[in-house]
Amino acid sequence: MTPPGGRAAAAAGPARLDIEEVVVAFGGLRAVAGVSLSVDAGSIVGLIGANGSGKTTLLDAVSGLVSPAAGKLRLDTEDLTDYIPEERARLGIVRSFQDCRLYPELSVEDTLLLCEDARYRIDILSTTLQLPWARRAEHAKRGAVDGVIGSFGLERFRHHSTAHLSTGTRRVVDLASIVLANPRLLLLDEPTAGIAQREAEAFIPLLRRLHEVTDSTILLVEHDVPLVFELCSTVVVMETGEVVASGTPDEVRRDPRALAAYLGASEEAINVSGPAAPSSLPKAPPTE
Amino acid sequence: MSLPPSIVLEGAILGLDYGLLAVGLVLIYRTSRVVNFAQGQLGVVAAVFLVKLFYDFGFNYWVALVISVALAAAVGALSELILRRLFNRPRVMVMVATIGLSQVLFLFTVFPFIRPKKLFQPFPVPIDWTFHVGTFLFSPGDVLTLIVAPIVVIALAAFIRFSSWGLAMRAMAENSESARLSGVWVRRTSTVAWTLAGALSAVTAVLASPSQTSALTEVLSPDLLLLALLAALIGGMVSLPVAFIAGVGVGVVLDALQWNITNPSSGPATVELILFILLQGALLLRAASLQKGARVGERSSWAMGTAAFRRTTHAMRKTVGSTGVGISLLVAALLPLFVGVGHSYLMSQICIFGVIALSLTVLTGWSGQVSLGQFGFVAVGADIASHIGSGLPLIVLLPVAGLATALVSVLVGLTALRIRGLYLAVSTLGFALFMQTSVLATSCFTLPLIHKQICSGLPNPQSTLLARPSLFGLSLSSEQAFAWFSLGVLVVSVVMVRVWRDRGIARRLIAVRDNEIAAGSAGIPVVRTKLLAFALSGFIAGYAGVCLAFATERISTSTFDPTFSILVVSMVVIGGLDSIPGALLGALYLEGLPAIFGASPTVEFLTSGVGLLAFILYLPGGLAQLLHSFGDLVSGAVEQLQARRGGAPPLDPARSVSAGPADAPQGRRSPAGAGALTTVEP
Repeated sequence: MTPPGGRAAAAAGPARLDIEEVVVAFGGLRAVAGVSLSVDAGSIVGLIGANGSGKTTLLDAVSGLVSPAAGKLRLDTEDLTDYIPEERARLGIVRSFQDCRLYPELSVEDTLLLCEDARYRIDILSTTLQLPWARRAEHAKRGAVDGVIGSFGLERFRHHSTAHLSTGTRRVVDLASIVLANPRLLLLDEPTAGIAQREAEAFIPLLRRLHEVTDSTILLVEHDVPLVFELCSTVVVMETGEVVASGTPDEVRRDPRALAAYLGASEEAINVSGPAAPSSLPKAPPTE
Repeated sequence: MSLPPSIVLEGAILGLDYGLLAVGLVLIYRTSRVVNFAQGQLGVVAAVFLVKLFYDFGFNYWVALVISVALAAAVGALSELILRRLFNRPRVMVMVATIGLSQVLFLFTVFPFIRPKKLFQPFPVPIDWTFHVGTFLFSPGDVLTLIVAPIVVIALAAFIRFSSWGLAMRAMAENSESARLSGVWVRRTSTVAWTLAGALSAVTAVLASPSQTSALTEVLSPDLLLLALLAALIGGMVSLPVAFIAGVGVGVVLDALQWNITNPSSGPATVELILFILLQGALLLRAASLQKGARVGERSSWAMGTAAFRRTTHAMRKTVGSTGVGISLLVAALLPLFVGVGHSYLMSQICIFGVIALSLTVLTGWSGQVSLGQFGFVAVGADIASHIGSGLPLIVLLPVAGLATALVSVLVGLTALRIRGLYLAVSTLGFALFMQTSVLATSCFTLPLIHKQICSGLPNPQSTLLARPSLFGLSLSSEQAFAWFSLGVLVVSVVMVRVWRDRGIARRLIAVRDNEIAAGSAGIPVVRTKLLAFALSGFIAGYAGVCLAFATERISTSTFDPTFSILVVSMVVIGGLDSIPGALLGALYLEGLPAIFGASPTVEFLTSGVGLLAFILYLPGGLAQLLHSFGDLVSGAVEQLQARRGGAPPLDPARSVSAGPADAPQGRRSPAGAGALTTVEP
């Protein structure tokens, strides 16, 4: 738990995630059917697979939104199984959502301040009376947020409510909150969803930079296969709740089971975007 | 426990009315996904009109009945046409709109065209059959209910089962979006449902009226509506037959309880307590299935985009705003010097209602939890004042009452963790009724097992006298002094709530309201944050209750009628949800206007009912939005005026507008613009 009035004393640096035989069942459906997976500290691991193969459910299990019927989850040496999402967040597990809805009625500034809030205890009395430490805490939060707003170029949107932002800007706000949250393990659920192909390409350096800046481990769910192959050190392919292939991008690319499960036989699908051979293919029109 | 057959039958006859009302509620809920608080009132218009036709115009009963039912059906259809504009709004908003609707419908009953000349005459019944069970005589009205109610329900069930409209309604109940895509004419179907519900409500009122003394039947009364809601909830808000049978069951259970619990002082309270427990049980047991059908938007978020109008481009805006606040504060502070005793008292009332409205701004506006029982919390504070008010100095009593109420509020909030949105509203309404009839009215009860007597409620539920205390040795007994005191409490409350808004509390509440999953994953403790909203809101309502008790000096259970809770909801919606000045403007509007135009229920219902509907339909930001636009207008004018001065040296904008207090620091912090820049660098 957070020490009273102070920042959480979380260990710094990237964390290692171990998933052991995790099963998530919705009624009779086993959305995740016994997945074991290790994500090394500091690595970027990509999770690919067709719709309904259990990728997002696996992320949900790691971030605590669904509780597994069986299996173990460990962050470094800590057993996560009984932790609620808030407690996992305090350990440094940060999650971004596919819909990137954020908080429609909150302004960008407040959305970012909220990431800082998570690290402080709510202290009603000293906030209401504006005691010195409450003032100092709020001042510190605003300082951190100002820095991020500056470096992400969000100054213009500071007081806009999130509901009025374009999807792209919301993604930037989401990334800014990730940086503020200071993750040790970052769970990204389709960060390029709803973004035009050309902008998705720009995401590769952006995600690399995010990896560097936050000094974290990244577990990434993504449909853009070339992006995953370009970015990740390990690629895991899932099908109907099970891992069918995993390894380095090169290994997976040659793995027949991976090809059968998701990639399909065509090499072209693998090369849709990414710097390998992008120019020969038609581009989606740039959108806002 | 004895249960004579006559009691069962009497209960069943009462229960048939609850059942019919419940069926109407379910019908509307299935198609429009809204708990229709106007369901009772739709039919009351018809029942009153029936009396008018029968006695004043000498119509044949059956002709009068047909015309009245047709009128109610038309009113139902018309209501749907009005509410249709809210199709895409959060459902909670629509529910508040139906509260406004029911108040507007009440106005119909006072129109001379509809209101009968003589109010107190027996409600017409077309038959004169009676019968005995044991020694109990059943009246013609009872016989009519026994015959008509089942026929009406069976006919309705057949219509829904076999007609194409019925099929469309069932499809909409399952999935409105898909039904729409597969060609169901959603809006027209919904109109048909409302028409049916109007007719059904008319039948209910006509059947229920003979047992009541006045022609202005009280089908609207919150406790009756709550019974119907209980039945509808047992039916999961979906099943018509279950809701109907549950209604009959509720009637039998209620009558059996009343027959067996005869103690005149604690009897009614025990019955209320059992009902409250039943309601909570029904909500909790049905919570899973009730939530399942709910769409994302109707769960909690107001999502009205009210934040949009807060942005401004005017550099002078802050200065103008604080000048306005300063002037209003000055006027309010000087007012008691110039007005009479009556108006000073009114000013205290407005201030205290403003504080209560603020408590709802925190709970409903920020946290998205709809409370229709805020006066239940106010009652807790007032009760504490009546018990220990004389023993503690006022300055200690206020926070103590606040803390105690916060605790009660958190306990009520615990159910809110499982049930949200519409159902929380039902639950809190139940709480307010429970507070009024059980806790406040039973002064003492004996604890079982340990046989210790505990006194809970008002020392005298009919009328408890309270002496106003003094504050720091200053007597508050004059209305003038109390008006200043109330203003002081209001100012402190506003400052406190503003701190919560600007310093990190509000954003937590709003984040959890808007996106619970994301907030949890970001490390915001969701459960604690929700309960925090209840605690903060309860705290404010608690000390407001103390103030209210001392303001009126004589409190009784009727001081805490649940209709006041609904009035407070109206204030907050009319003022502008989640806006602090909005809450105050709402209180000023709803408490102040009736004072100007004479306080009668008609005026009250006119201002709150029409106001509610008009604001929800046309000005979702409420009075706060108007105020904001006005502020922008003034700022623009002031800026133009400055620009016209041309070469003259730029003045401190604060001074140039007016001599309102505490302007200068505000002016410096205003966003970068021509005026602001020159102010910052002298």
